[in-house]
Amino acid sequence: MGIENKTDCHVLVIGSGGAGIRAAVEAETFGETIIVSKTITGKGGCTVMAEGGFNAVLNEEDSIQTHFEDTMRGGAFLNDESLVETLAAEAPNRIRDLFSWGAVFDLAKDNTIAQRPFGGQRCARTCYAGDHTGHELVMTLLEKLRGSSVQIENEVTVLDLLYDGERVNGAITCDREGELGVITADAVILATGGAGQVYDTTTNSTAGTGDGYALGYKAGAQLIDMEQVQFHPTGAVTPYDSRGRLITEAVRGEGGILKNALGERFMTKYDPARMELSTRDVVARGIATEVLEGRGTPHGGVWLDVSHLPREHIETRLPIMLNQFLQFGVDIRNEPMEVAPTAHHFMGGIMITPDAKTTVPHLYAAGEVTGGVHGGNRLGGNALADTQVFGRRAGIAAGKTERTAKNVDKNQIKAAEEKLASYYNGSTKTADVRRSMKTTMWNNVGIYRNELDLRVAERDIRKLQNTPLKIDSPRELPDAVITENMLLVAQLVIEGALLRRESRGAHTRTDVKQTWTNETSPFGHTFFVKGKSGIEILEEKL
Amino acid sequence: MKVTISRFDPDTGEPPKFVEYEVSVKKAARVLNVLDAVRDTIDPGFAYRHCCRGGQCGSCAVRVNGEPVLACMQEAREGDIIEPLELPRIRDLVVDIAPIMAQIAWMNNGCDCSPVTQEEIEEIKPLRECIECYSCISSCPAISASDYKGPTIMRQEQRLNLDPRDKGDRILEAIDKGLFSCTTCHKCVEVCPKEIETPRKAIEKLRAEAAKRGLSLPAHKALASLIEKTGRSVERKEPTFLERVPDVIEPEGEIRATVGFFVGCMFNGRVIQPALDTMDLLRKNGVRVIIPKDQVCCSSPLIRTGLSGFVPELQKRNIDAFVNAGVDTVLTICAGCGSTLKNDYETPFRVVDITEFLCEIGFVAPAKVEGTYTYHDPCHLLRGQGISEQPRILLNSVAEKFVEMPARCCGAGGGVKSGQPEEAAKIGAVRAEMVKKTGADYIVTVCPFCEFHLNQVTGLPVKNIATLMMEGYRKQEK
Repeated sequence: MGIENKTDCHVLVIGSGGAGIRAAVEAETFGETIIVSKTITGKGGCTVMAEGGFNAVLNEEDSIQTHFEDTMRGGAFLNDESLVETLAAEAPNRIRDLFSWGAVFDLAKDNTIAQRPFGGQRCARTCYAGDHTGHELVMTLLEKLRGSSVQIENEVTVLDLLYDGERVNGAITCDREGELGVITADAVILATGGAGQVYDTTTNSTAGTGDGYALGYKAGAQLIDMEQVQFHPTGAVTPYDSRGRLITEAVRGEGGILKNALGERFMTKYDPARMELSTRDVVARGIATEVLEGRGTPHGGVWLDVSHLPREHIETRLPIMLNQFLQFGVDIRNEPMEVAPTAHHFMGGIMITPDAKTTVPHLYAAGEVTGGVHGGNRLGGNALADTQVFGRRAGIAAGKTERTAKNVDKNQIKAAEEKLASYYNGSTKTADVRRSMKTTMWNNVGIYRNELDLRVAERDIRKLQNTPLKIDSPRELPDAVITENMLLVAQLVIEGALLRRESRGAHTRTDVKQTWTNETSPFGHTFFVKGKSGIEILEEKL
Repeated sequence: MKVTISRFDPDTGEPPKFVEYEVSVKKAARVLNVLDAVRDTIDPGFAYRHCCRGGQCGSCAVRVNGEPVLACMQEAREGDIIEPLELPRIRDLVVDIAPIMAQIAWMNNGCDCSPVTQEEIEEIKPLRECIECYSCISSCPAISASDYKGPTIMRQEQRLNLDPRDKGDRILEAIDKGLFSCTTCHKCVEVCPKEIETPRKAIEKLRAEAAKRGLSLPAHKALASLIEKTGRSVERKEPTFLERVPDVIEPEGEIRATVGFFVGCMFNGRVIQPALDTMDLLRKNGVRVIIPKDQVCCSSPLIRTGLSGFVPELQKRNIDAFVNAGVDTVLTICAGCGSTLKNDYETPFRVVDITEFLCEIGFVAPAKVEGTYTYHDPCHLLRGQGISEQPRILLNSVAEKFVEMPARCCGAGGGVKSGQPEEAAKIGAVRAEMVKKTGADYIVTVCPFCEFHLNQVTGLPVKNIATLMMEGYRKQEK
């Protein structure tokens, strides 16, 4: 027993989206850094798919304070104030970093960075590169990464974090062929993104399986607000296999109009002041209600229309949207898009300090895997800023971690090996388990929730967790581990949803009547540590 | 739905094999949904890459029926044959992309970050959409025939070259990575999911900057000075086409159309007979042909090789020549000239290729000519002008037997034949093998460079389509 394949480094970064690469680039200046990616670095995360933009205060009409307030209000005041302050204060410098590294964002006529309005914000604050801002950001980061000494490990899945009793000191890995390995490190950064894939309909890439929540949780880290799952109001609904694909908020930012099947501009009912540019939770609930009450399109969505905009405007500002719909036989210059809500962003996650420290020594986290920055609802454009602000902070904090003797716990490795061996005797294919989980989550833990549905989901997920997964070859090992991670994430989302007996942010309980507003809610964060979970009660508000 | 997938397991020591699968998928499923179905319902060990499922990460590029596509965007069809990209294979549809990734240049930024302007960004943007799927590398005919690193590598060199924040010398780097090896066949554009115009927007631009610094290949410099001196890219040896024909050729019988004729350097000075055949062909079809004698080289060799200083003057001379002749349609019989006039000129007249023109006006049916014929699509006709059907209509009307072969660059274009003859020969050899497989006695094409080069590499007779049509007409008259 024991793993021969062992590497050592100063900082190990797990995850290769915007936050992971940013962290690695920063950590490298402190010592040998390895970035491991379950996919190909830069391709896996949701950053590369982000279409809309990057929020940063850059002009005089705007202010850091306004960005802070918009984010708090947007997040239903469930955000961690110190994290939001950090986000708003540092986003401008992070976009400047990107510029100095070669980012090709759109500029205004005077060659300053162009900005457009996004939902829930009082100023045009969202910087963009057409409708492929995330792609631009990742390309820029990849160029920076390729020019650095960071060791890039592609198609390597982390099975477990190594813990020596006091601190995290590395990870057990598995490569594409099923070979196990150990990477020891003075510090580990989790930047594994969100877990939209636990839902049947999602904008997330297939890599969005929430492994970091599970890795952190299993290593003893505290997670918060896992019930806060953002449903992006506008995902594709047809063709069937493409349902959930993101229709960027930029479509509404550029003037897109929502209508139900009766042709009514229904946002007048839900937010007459901000209409289509309301926050995502409000728009998503608006659409869901229209569909539930029978005013939906043939495929169970609503219409999103830009055909009143000049053709050239659509072609230059929304080229990806235009092309994507053309592939499905819809010319958005002449006809409306059919859209419905789709699981998008996990606002909850691993609790961090502004220095990206988790509750476990030598373990850091950044990006969507963390909780607290976005509270109960993330504003469009804040996620990319989040990846850069906290990615950099995680890189610095991890880089500054003291060097330690790395005693690998042999029992931990042995346990992992035995666990993996047991999969050969399992009974059920991972694909089947995942399908059941996704359906259960979508049907029972979606936009509108109630205790009964949540209990059904809780029972279903527990049943799936007790189903022995089966594999036939070592190459399927990562898949089995990832499936278990997803089930754990699903369980935490359900637990959080049961604990939070209020409607707040993206979490809407149809079975609870509440007398308080978001700002005066007596509830704080839900929290989850191995063996302990609950919800903070703020007594002064009772 | 039934599909065939190429499977490969290196552990077995066996070569790749095709396996047929039957899976059930929803309406309008993508190829990726089919792959998922195979993995989820038939073989969990089936290996393929995928990630964003929305055409933005480039992970899932595979070949479907021979052509690179993104599996997540391509609609699946009954009977699809799914193979990996033509790159070193790891397992099933997974290929080794690490060596390519290592070639992609990164920005070498100094600490004084020069500001960038929106104008500069607009220039860079079209080269920035790349999602690194490597479809272009998979299908580039020049890579295996030379040290050429490939389209996306050149794209990135020019992307960095355009950026004032970058401090590297991207021209020297590009030359080192094989800048002069691209045949400008545009296959990379055809397969690119983002339709990035690498030959025009990167390669020709980089070559132009290399030229300004005197770094062009000697053969290209020689060609450029010949054009500057004579207005032609081919040395005059015998009386040229333009010297042999009258200014106007009247048709037999009723005049159905009038065109100006653009002859091109090769047909004017080196392979004259096809041009003369074309005159007969047009006369036979009731077309009045006006031939301005002051026309010159279309400037394609200059634009493709980056020696473009003299180009505006040539363009002006050609446009003036045809405007003064009062024609509203100019006919070309050389794919390269046609593509250049259509894409690199702003002409006040319409430009048509002989094949599209004949199909448009309706041609007199010729008698069938004996022998087995195959057709070579000239890159500058197929991808430069989007013409593939019309030559086949003509061929089918005249050839006793016509056999298809897939389109592929012969290696002659983009200044490669003159500048890097060994590479042109290697690409040509691959093409020759494809020709051989068809069992054809003759190759037909619509480009004098292809014609000349294919004859060299295959040893088979290569006929211009006009010549073949005339054979049919002559047979009929007998």
